[in-house]
Amino acid sequence: MQPTMRRLFNAQQSGLILVILLLGAILTIFAGSHTDRVTGHSVNNFLNFYTLTQTATDASFFAIMAVGATMVIISGGIDLSVGSVYALAGTTMALALRVWNFSSTLETVLVGMTLCLGIGLLCGLANGVMVVGLRVHPFIITLGTMWVFRGIAFVTSKAESILVPDALTSVAKASLTSNAALYPVPMLVMIAVTAVGAVYLSRTVMGRHIYAIGGNVEASRYSGLRLGRILIGVYALSGLTAGIAAFVGISYYGSATCGDATGYELYVIASAVVGGASLSGGKGSAINAMLGAILIVLIRQAIRQLHFDQNYEWIIIGCAIIIAVVLDQLNARLTAKRLVKGTA
Amino acid sequence: MNRTAKILVVLGGITVVAMASVFAQGKKSFKIALIAKSSTNPVFLSARTGAEAAAKELSAKYGIDIEIDWRTPPTEDGQVQAQRIAQAVNEGDDAIIISCSDAGKVTGAINDAAARGVPVMTFDSDAPQSKRFAFYGVDDVASGQQVMSELAKQLGGKGKVAILAGNQNATNLRKRAEGVVKEAANHPDIQIVGTFYHIETPQDAAAEVVRVMNAYPDINGWAMIGGWPLFTKSLLTDLNPDKVKIVAVDALPAELPYVAKGIAPVLLAQPTYMWGHVSVEKVIDKIYLKKDVPVITRMELIRVSKENLGTWARQLKDWGFTDVPEGYLKMP
Repeated sequence: MQPTMRRLFNAQQSGLILVILLLGAILTIFAGSHTDRVTGHSVNNFLNFYTLTQTATDASFFAIMAVGATMVIISGGIDLSVGSVYALAGTTMALALRVWNFSSTLETVLVGMTLCLGIGLLCGLANGVMVVGLRVHPFIITLGTMWVFRGIAFVTSKAESILVPDALTSVAKASLTSNAALYPVPMLVMIAVTAVGAVYLSRTVMGRHIYAIGGNVEASRYSGLRLGRILIGVYALSGLTAGIAAFVGISYYGSATCGDATGYELYVIASAVVGGASLSGGKGSAINAMLGAILIVLIRQAIRQLHFDQNYEWIIIGCAIIIAVVLDQLNARLTAKRLVKGTA
Repeated sequence: MNRTAKILVVLGGITVVAMASVFAQGKKSFKIALIAKSSTNPVFLSARTGAEAAAKELSAKYGIDIEIDWRTPPTEDGQVQAQRIAQAVNEGDDAIIISCSDAGKVTGAINDAAARGVPVMTFDSDAPQSKRFAFYGVDDVASGQQVMSELAKQLGGKGKVAILAGNQNATNLRKRAEGVVKEAANHPDIQIVGTFYHIETPQDAAAEVVRVMNAYPDINGWAMIGGWPLFTKSLLTDLNPDKVKIVAVDALPAELPYVAKGIAPVLLAQPTYMWGHVSVEKVIDKIYLKKDVPVITRMELIRVSKENLGTWARQLKDWGFTDVPEGYLKMP
């Protein structure tokens, strides 16, 4: 096998890509087709630009958050508050923009983005500072802030559904192509965030430190790494990605409520885990987290397109997560055995 | 049978099948997406039954094929509803019927669907700012007023009343709660102690009622703008009919024991079966018969009490509910 091909097939994400392609092929064959209203041509129900873009859009909100959450998981922690950070950032932005009512699109977008990302970052920092400062397990801290952040969103928004200015929606739903009904912006943001996350984790010193802490916290401490600072940074980044997801999601759908993204933290963690992140730390990647999110959304899509009873959605996704983790562990054991054989 | 005859029989069979298939293809077919708020809420399951019954009736009546494409999320989520609208359009559905969990979240998706030539109709909970072509449901403010008016009669015009209001993001429920408060102003001896929101599951709703009763033991009336807690049996024993009266919107089979026991002397039934049935009729009027459809079609609430419990129980059974207690079916 050529070295390039071998590298490709040895790559961590090749398994996920294969599963996604396989599922895509099954959907293409079995999802059926319909007649296009405008052209009168037969269109495959799955393999068309609209469905593919829509699938990527649906995955993008989970995937963006999953990039940040994966960093937390690699460091050996967990962040259960990402859904609530999303809701708080979104409602704060919507409330502020309703009060300020800017006339310029640029001003609206810049202020909205700054607010969303800023709130996300602050929430993440708060999580990090508490995890490090109070020395309480991150599960407990982020479980608490999950309720606190959503509670603040509830109180400040008075549980209203707040519409955001059209300027935001026009940016998030910009078609960017000749086809006015295709909205690729969330997908492009997802790709950009994943790319930045991947470079950060694999090509920067800070990124390598996160793996080091997750792999062996004591060794990292004795190596002189500033654990507290690194961990605060990791939670801040998780909050930041939740803020980015909120900005894109709220702008795309056009309104914000305190109930937004309820339960999404589980999808986000599931995306990271399906993507191969280890909950004991030291393992995971941004690209895999994105692929994990796409796979989960694709499974949901498949349940409907193949006309399965959608009441089985949770069962199927739950089983998929367990199978993904078991397969990943099997693969790790086989690799370890092969390495032992190689050295013997 | 000789070989030629066998070949002729096989060829004849193939021709018949082919002709049947051509005939079937010639039949006009419509796929209507039905997106309710949550597939765990029984009122929407009855809307589905109504939609499927209407599809069957109209298919036979007009010689067309109508298929109901159930795309309701398992739990309430406006964002997921918006995604399901887009999916329905992408997969070639001919029309969409939706009860909006959050009007703000689905308005953009409804407008996109309309722009791509897929008409959208709302039922139960509207998205008035969107390009939906019609809405079918109760007048929410008037429904809230009717709930309070009935409760005031049960309480003799005086008492402390709590409002059970479901999901705070649903526009229709907020309007009903407004209606309750508006009507309460006409009864000076009635005091509203508060409006209580909760997750729209029977268990969460029943727990909320018990929590509120513990916090305000002097409450003697509940204005429930949805019947969520009455789908459990717990309030049948937790509430004393001599001390507390309930008037609630909805009267599905599980709620009828509350009427019989006198805890809920009046239920205001939304014929939820008709949400699906009427909506499918309106959609077919619009997309097949090319008729003008009124933008708003109002649904009237049906007053259910001990006097008409039997009639109502039989109506529910006729609408396909299989869990109507036998005892009520025999009542007058």
